[in-house]
Amino acid sequence: MFLKFIDDLNFISSCRKYRLGLWQCPNFLFLAMGLVTIVVMLGTYFISQRYYSETVTVTSVSLVTIFILTISSFIIGGVKKIAEANIMKSEFISVISHQLCTPLSVIKWSLEVLKTEKGEEDDKLNPKQLIFLKNIEKSNEKMLKLVNDLLEVIRIDQGRSIFVKDKVSLVQLAQEVIEDLGYLKAARNVSVNLRDGSPLSRVYVDPKKMKIAMENLIGNAIKYSEEGDEVNVILRMENKKVMLIVEDHGVGIPRYQHSQVFEKFFRSNNASRYRTEGVGLGLYLVRAILNNFGGEVWFESEANKGSTFYVSLPAAVG
Amino acid sequence: MGEQDKRKILIIEDDKSLQNALVEMLTQEKYETISAFDGEEGLQKAKDEKPDLILLDIILPKKDGYEVLAEIKKGEEKNIPVLILTNLEEIDNVQKALDLGATTFMVKSDFSLKDVLEKVKENLK
Repeated sequence: MFLKFIDDLNFISSCRKYRLGLWQCPNFLFLAMGLVTIVVMLGTYFISQRYYSETVTVTSVSLVTIFILTISSFIIGGVKKIAEANIMKSEFISVISHQLCTPLSVIKWSLEVLKTEKGEEDDKLNPKQLIFLKNIEKSNEKMLKLVNDLLEVIRIDQGRSIFVKDKVSLVQLAQEVIEDLGYLKAARNVSVNLRDGSPLSRVYVDPKKMKIAMENLIGNAIKYSEEGDEVNVILRMENKKVMLIVEDHGVGIPRYQHSQVFEKFFRSNNASRYRTEGVGLGLYLVRAILNNFGGEVWFESEANKGSTFYVSLPAAVG
Repeated sequence: MGEQDKRKILIIEDDKSLQNALVEMLTQEKYETISAFDGEEGLQKAKDEKPDLILLDIILPKKDGYEVLAEIKKGEEKNIPVLILTNLEEIDNVQKALDLGATTFMVKSDFSLKDVLEKVKENLK
């Protein structure tokens, strides 16, 4: 906290970071206002010591008030500009992502048509062509996931995401997610063990959104494991809550970065070094989705030893 | 199914490649397809051709999907099931389409052609 305050005082680097001019930069304006307030207090003290005339005191206080108001308006303008830039950024990402959705859907559907072609034997694709078709399909799915994650983050931030809640079995969802991630398990040669200690437990969630959260947690565990490693997915009941635990023995997260793990666009140094793919939206989405179901997520991790993510959700009654 | 029994599906979609994929899949399943590439053309064809089902995009030239849907639901074609097929998944978009009388709402990037086909079959029973 104190270090952050000291860091904020270095207004030149902050203003450069935000790419703002001095008179639009909140850090500088905040310092300027602080300085003016101190000068005003000292000035008022000295004026009241030296002059006894009410006119002088009232005039000087009024002038200073006008000055403070002017600086305040600059500060508000600077903050407004940052807020507007933030809205523009979200709108820009939203427009680009929506624009990308159409060509990606075209690729997805065209591949499906090619795969289900019911022609003569000669018209059918040979095994080699099918392998390349599969490559295109996998890359397209990756792009679609990235675009959909970006759009989902914006929708959640704007409160425009759809959550259709239903009573579902977390075990069943976990099985589906592990199956969907089959290609990743094979590529990384990582095995995933599902241990179900709560066979009858149900939770009240949107299955589609819950699958996104689970895909990110289990997918990360696979991606950041060493080849040949094991990932454990454990389900158990604890005080009327269903716990989902995802444990890996992979690259882990350095302790000094623990506080940033659920931030938007954050990628830990270890993660970026071992896997260049990814934009750092997964865990932000996981937390946002779970919050919507009254759930919680936390983790334990040590660099080069692995991570364990814990999810707790209220068990559905009845 | 004989030629005369073929169920007619109107696809209102401005992207030609998506149209092609939908037409291909529906033709393979023995449906008759009619294509429209903007809202006005779609509305006209809905009135002239009296399809059994309409697949409707939201972002369209001339008239958007909401306007097309609203006009269809005001006219003689109001009982034709309209399946929205879009990439706008925000709650306000979904709500608006359902309020205007859309039968269902599908997100292109989430749905496979097989999923779309299942919804078509479900609504033509």
